[in-house]
Amino acid sequence: MKRTFTCIVCPNGCEIDAEYEGSRVISVTGNLCPKGKTYVTQELVDPRRTIATSMRVDGGELPLASVRLTRPIPKDRIFDVMAEINRHSLTAPVAIGDVAVPDILGLGSDVIVTKNVARA
Amino acid sequence: MMHEQAVIVGGGPAGLAAALRLREKGVKDILILEREHKPGGILRQCIHDGFGLMRFGESLSGPEYAQRFIDRVEEAGIRCITDCTVLDITHDKLVTAVSRNLGLLQIQADAVLLTMGCRERTRGALATPGTRPAGVYTAGVAQSYINLQNVMVGREIVILGSGDIGLIMARRLTLEGAHVKGVYEVQPYPSGLPRNIEQCLNDYHIPLHLSHTVVDIRGRERLTSVVVAQCDERFRPIPGTEEEIPCDTLILSVGLIPENELSLAAGVELDARTRGAFVDEHYQTGVPGIFAAGNVLHVHDLVDFVSLEAEALADSAAEYLLCGSLPECSLEVKAGSNVGHVIPQRFSATRSFTLSLRVRQPLKDVSIVVRQGEKEVLRKKMRKALPAEMIQLPIKAEKLIPGVELEVSAE
Amino acid sequence: MQTSDVIIIGGGVVGSAIARELTRYRLKVTVLEKESDVCTQTSGRNTGMLHAGFLYKTGSLKARCCVEGNREFDQVARELDVPFKRTGKLIVGFTEEHRQRLLAMIERGRANGVPGMELIDRKRMDEIDPSAGGNFAIYCPTSGILDPFIYTIALAENAVKNGARYHLYTEVTGHDRLEDGRHVLHTGKGDFACRWVINSAGLHSAEISEMLGIPGYVIQPVKGEYFVLDKKAGAFAKIPVYPAPTERNTFDTHATPTVDGNVLVGPNSFNVTDGEDYSVRQVGMDGLQESGARMFKHMRREYYIRTFAGARPKRIDPATGEIQDFLIECRDDVPGVINLVGIESPGLTSALPIARRVVGLLREREELLPNPDFDPVRKGIVRFHEASREEQARLVAADPDYGEIVCRCETVTRAEIRQAIHNPLGVSTVNGIKVRTRASMGRCQGGYCETRITAMIREELGRAVTDVRLTNGDSAMFTGYVKGGEQA
Repeated sequence: MKRTFTCIVCPNGCEIDAEYEGSRVISVTGNLCPKGKTYVTQELVDPRRTIATSMRVDGGELPLASVRLTRPIPKDRIFDVMAEINRHSLTAPVAIGDVAVPDILGLGSDVIVTKNVARA
Repeated sequence: MMHEQAVIVGGGPAGLAAALRLREKGVKDILILEREHKPGGILRQCIHDGFGLMRFGESLSGPEYAQRFIDRVEEAGIRCITDCTVLDITHDKLVTAVSRNLGLLQIQADAVLLTMGCRERTRGALATPGTRPAGVYTAGVAQSYINLQNVMVGREIVILGSGDIGLIMARRLTLEGAHVKGVYEVQPYPSGLPRNIEQCLNDYHIPLHLSHTVVDIRGRERLTSVVVAQCDERFRPIPGTEEEIPCDTLILSVGLIPENELSLAAGVELDARTRGAFVDEHYQTGVPGIFAAGNVLHVHDLVDFVSLEAEALADSAAEYLLCGSLPECSLEVKAGSNVGHVIPQRFSATRSFTLSLRVRQPLKDVSIVVRQGEKEVLRKKMRKALPAEMIQLPIKAEKLIPGVELEVSAE
Repeated sequence: MQTSDVIIIGGGVVGSAIARELTRYRLKVTVLEKESDVCTQTSGRNTGMLHAGFLYKTGSLKARCCVEGNREFDQVARELDVPFKRTGKLIVGFTEEHRQRLLAMIERGRANGVPGMELIDRKRMDEIDPSAGGNFAIYCPTSGILDPFIYTIALAENAVKNGARYHLYTEVTGHDRLEDGRHVLHTGKGDFACRWVINSAGLHSAEISEMLGIPGYVIQPVKGEYFVLDKKAGAFAKIPVYPAPTERNTFDTHATPTVDGNVLVGPNSFNVTDGEDYSVRQVGMDGLQESGARMFKHMRREYYIRTFAGARPKRIDPATGEIQDFLIECRDDVPGVINLVGIESPGLTSALPIARRVVGLLREREELLPNPDFDPVRKGIVRFHEASREEQARLVAADPDYGEIVCRCETVTRAEIRQAIHNPLGVSTVNGIKVRTRASMGRCQGGYCETRITAMIREELGRAVTDVRLTNGDSAMFTGYVKGGEQA
């Protein structure tokens, strides 16, 4: 089977023509680096994404702190993870790197804070 | 009146990077003027990841990328006045600013670094017909509301324009429970980066309609619908292809414009193509001692490039402050076939520099060729070149012929 | 039920001028306005011209009120702190036919009492404004430009200061008479009783007239579309430039500098059935681009910052369709009603003269006692942008909010926004702040300041996030919070 992938690993956004059988990659062309092949393989077996959103901060100088995942999660769990994040809130102060939700939904990825928010 | 060696107008990614490099080069009196309550510029609201892959080798969010520079600026003891808006810059580098705590400030600078960034094109500039209801936002404004203020702009969304911020907002709105009905782009190709088409639209099954535009905006109080239509190759709507799409929100992602009102006040001449200043290889504008880099000079695709450009600016500005002048750059860099614009527009042919450019339309298996007259200075083969991507080429001094203009084309 | 001596239906420039003039007397005056603010319709959707009065039939109310209003406006602008410039105006021609029409216009101007009009050649035109198109022109020195929003707001604020009451979002839906002859007006916000009703309902003046017992008038809304150009284009526009009048004695697209330094190009002119449909059409913009370029040599796309539309409520003869004069009447068969129908251009210039005529009609029927506390002076918000550097420093020292620039394009400070939010009329919309301060009227159209203004409306007025509105009706800006809090 043949399919064209757009690699999302870096801003180059390589268009990769891949030939594969099931989840086995036979050949890839168009990628500028080896990460492209890894990406295609991953996409075939278990597509994963990181997401970024925000969480409410109580008592902060800002109403929200931005957060992101430390590792990609299965693409089809994105909305479950969003719902879980939305169940939580933070209390100021928070700092970049603080773990807001550890190992979210047992998926092996932490939700970490990406913005410093001091107390109001 | 205060006196500073370098006044940096804008504490976003360009200003922060320039400040740090100036300090590394031994410049003592540096003052950053920032209109927001905190430095970081637009990165404060760009909470998605993907920043810093080039610079730090990891995928950071905008606030994290900015904070790395902010921390270093603080450690270096570089002064930054926040909540401070520059009102005027004169040709003689007298900077007038106002702040709620310090009142009216007048600062005589030896060098002024213009790092004000850019603003969004609006509906007015597009002259989109229709009514003026609530619910029409530019992508950056919507991003600010959602990511900084915690207010939701709408539920049923149509996006006009496929610029990167629009694509990022399509995903962002979807994650927060809105329904993005589609992205409409007047050109036959996307304006944003391919990876953003993939991870912001395709991942969420948001359709992208190329060669389409919004031809009517309806609703008197809140937006009730937009009418979209297919466009011909000259971007004119094709009669009979109209389709009404009910929605409560229209997001515009139709381009960015360098924010150069202060540059104009200082007598800096602008390039009609970039809408930023004409600069030489030192990022010096036509006014000696006034420099520009980052999105105020030309709109970038990646913040990593903004930081690099600002550092190159700072290298030259430090030299200017030390020596009182820079080598003259009287030779022109021309944008040849298929090239939209080039930075810098002037060079000396005596020093190495970085050439930045964008192609006019998507090209496959193309060579970017830099020539002086008949002589080929550089040739870079690319499998594809997109207008969405900025191309950077290092030009080596030893390859240059003195006294001959440069032309860059995509062939 | 609230009871007043006089209720004015419609808080546009004319209704507000009437309210203000009536507060010179001991009267309880109430204004019912169906919209969110006093200048969201015809009063705020026009060119902002102080007309000289040469266009109208000699002896007509339009001609008399306009000339009278023009003559006194320097004094009015000072009293009410209204941005105003007496720029003069050029009416340009290209052909011999145009020349004949212009000469006729000068004659009519003389007859109407317009001073100083003269026909000038291209050389004089170049001295006055080289950007103007045309081969020759009328120069009319008494024409001027003013801020129509601020003028309407100033009249309303001065009326409120002197005791008038404004009710926004209050549409009159019905009318009854009590046994003692008083009126009861039904609205979505309850009933209002009064001895006198003044119909100043603009686009809806014929409907209100009929509701009050005077049927038979017909209002034809005539819509016009405009481009607003950047202040960069304003640098080229020194004076309003109008084309020679058409055969029907109306003006086509013109280019007018605004008092704040932008340029308006428009309006075109076409009949509509719904005067409140302010959408702008593609075909309209295409036409303006072409006709505008004839009047203004710098009509370029890079200068476009906005479009808008307005509608003039013209009273027409139902039989012939002919456009009629202003109607100001008080009929014996319908007591207690002063009826204003077909107040259109030059209504902005004529607002106070019309108001004085309304007061005159009232006075013929009952004795009016002077209000000893009446103060004709209204002060506007002090604008940072217009202050000298020394004054700016003083403003910030006295109020640190003057040191925080909220709107970058128009250099509007937090102090100005704050004062606008706490305006005397209780207007709380984003557009209300905009017209009072100019915040978001610049080239970025709110890209920088709108988020700040909506945040300030929420903070200063304690508004829920779902209760921030752009302009009229239910123009909610937001649907709720992103995280936590109630959702709309």
